[in-house]
Amino acid sequence: MNRLLEASGVTVTFGGLTAVNAVDCHVDEGEIVGLIGPNGAGKTTFFNAISGFRRPDRGTVTFRGQNILGLRPHKISHMGMSRTFQIVKPFPEMTVLDNVMVGAFSVHASPARAREAALKALEAVRFSGWAHRLASDLPVAGRKRLEVAKVMACDPKLILLDEVMAGLTPSEHNEMIDAVRNIRSSGITVMIIEHVMPVIMNLCDRIYVLHHGDLICEGAPAAVVRDPEVVRAYLGEDFAL
Amino acid sequence: MKRAALAALIVFLLTLPLFAGSDAVARIMPRGLSGSALLNVFLLIFLFGYLAQSWNILGGFAGQLSLGHAAFFGLGAYTSTLLYTEFGLSPWLGMPVGMAVAGLFGLAIGFVSFHYRLAGPFFTLATIAFAELIRLTALHLKFTGGSMGILIPLQGNSFWHFQFTGKTPYYYIALAMLAAVTALIWWMSRSRIGHYLHAIRQDEDAAEAIGIDTRRYKLIAATLSAALTGAGGTLYAQYTQYIVPDDVFAVGMSVEIILRAIVGGSATVFGPVVGSFILTPVAEATRVLFSGGGSGAAIVKLFASDAALEAKLSGYFKFLAAGGGGGGALMLYGLILIFTCLVMPAGAIPWLRRRFGQ
Repeated sequence: MNRLLEASGVTVTFGGLTAVNAVDCHVDEGEIVGLIGPNGAGKTTFFNAISGFRRPDRGTVTFRGQNILGLRPHKISHMGMSRTFQIVKPFPEMTVLDNVMVGAFSVHASPARAREAALKALEAVRFSGWAHRLASDLPVAGRKRLEVAKVMACDPKLILLDEVMAGLTPSEHNEMIDAVRNIRSSGITVMIIEHVMPVIMNLCDRIYVLHHGDLICEGAPAAVVRDPEVVRAYLGEDFAL
Repeated sequence: MKRAALAALIVFLLTLPLFAGSDAVARIMPRGLSGSALLNVFLLIFLFGYLAQSWNILGGFAGQLSLGHAAFFGLGAYTSTLLYTEFGLSPWLGMPVGMAVAGLFGLAIGFVSFHYRLAGPFFTLATIAFAELIRLTALHLKFTGGSMGILIPLQGNSFWHFQFTGKTPYYYIALAMLAAVTALIWWMSRSRIGHYLHAIRQDEDAAEAIGIDTRRYKLIAATLSAALTGAGGTLYAQYTQYIVPDDVFAVGMSVEIILRAIVGGSATVFGPVVGSFILTPVAEATRVLFSGGGSGAAIVKLFASDAALEAKLSGYFKFLAAGGGGGGALMLYGLILIFTCLVMPAGAIPWLRRRFGQ
């Protein structure tokens, strides 16, 4: 199996607070890897650290065998790793199609080709019907899907999805699960932060669990949810097995 | 219908100099204004439309609100003028040199600002400070003529010297420049760079995340915007044949440029042009109608007297216009800006689009 992402000893501190503490993790080609943990566990900070938005204080990050530490986000995106944002960041004054074209332009210089690629990315997340709506008019579920379509248009090898299910209804969860599966079957590897457990159990091949910045568990979904450390982190000491 | 109106406007603008001097026009012009004054107003509409469009690339599309564009305008004007007066270089050749100088300064201020992550109001403040720095430098250097400025020696009608005795050639040059910059912006808005600049304005992090080198594209916008503004400076210098730091480098000049873009609709393809069509005649009309004036003491006396209210107000307007060089225009600008903010915060073009559909 081909190793895409390898992070070791990644540490991020904010003043005296260690938000991510010496986390080791890897993602292999073709996987869907989950990253879970209670609020404030450091999941998004970890994404920021590996996608170039915040330089880790310590540790190394390699992507497709190359050291990407200190590279700016657009460079990392060009190398094939793009991320979405938990607090969605659409370009509100543009149509959905134009939003996605911005991503596609990093692969195609010509507007016609970029448009074609953008339409394909919208198709991949089952969002074609909304192409000509203004991004600011979208409901939450639409914005989440737009986030995914934008990174898909960059022709990535690995996408980092930050809570793309939050705020969606159960039926919308299913659509999104379907979209993520579809993305994987098109050959793109996925790392996903998620709070919605059924989604994680359903989707992921492997799961990492963060708690107060520490990596407390790693493994297959079924094993992870039975791990006493994980149960304690989520439910508190009283529920420890 | 809309297309026909647009075609009619274009034909009108293209042929205006042919009939501006006719008796028919003289009859409908108010208060004995000549056809030449009419040409002057349109020429200024084009010039300020051109400048506002140039600003639009950085301030509109890229969303980096520069209030220092007078610096680039003045650099263009001074470069071509000094090359002409000192070395006899034709302003036609001085214009691209001025663009290069203005562009380099745009690149420099952009590099420093974006490298140190000056964003929003801090970037705006930096551009004001930068423009003031250039203005003060020009005021105190010998070779720029200091506060006296530079008078361009008259050569009569000469294309090579970029000097014409009539207004018509300037009129067409300004119109051509406006058309060219608008075409450039129209092209940009459909291509990669336009999408990138729009994206950067709306969310820089999101833009970075999907592969945009935001710093590089902001720098491109700053350089291009500054260089184009510089060319406007050359045209202005050749048209007025006299430049002085407190005019071309003044914050007031930056405001004149920016207001047109904002009122018309910044980050749109035609907004700055529409803004210039709205504001430039206002500025010119107030300059003409409220000339005269009088002292502050006279105004106090006028208001204390039992003159009619109209007389008092008209005296007050004249006073405002005479003091501060166009105070009346500034007051009207203020009103128009307040109206714009309240009624159409995104500018005239988006407002019209919403009201009347596409």
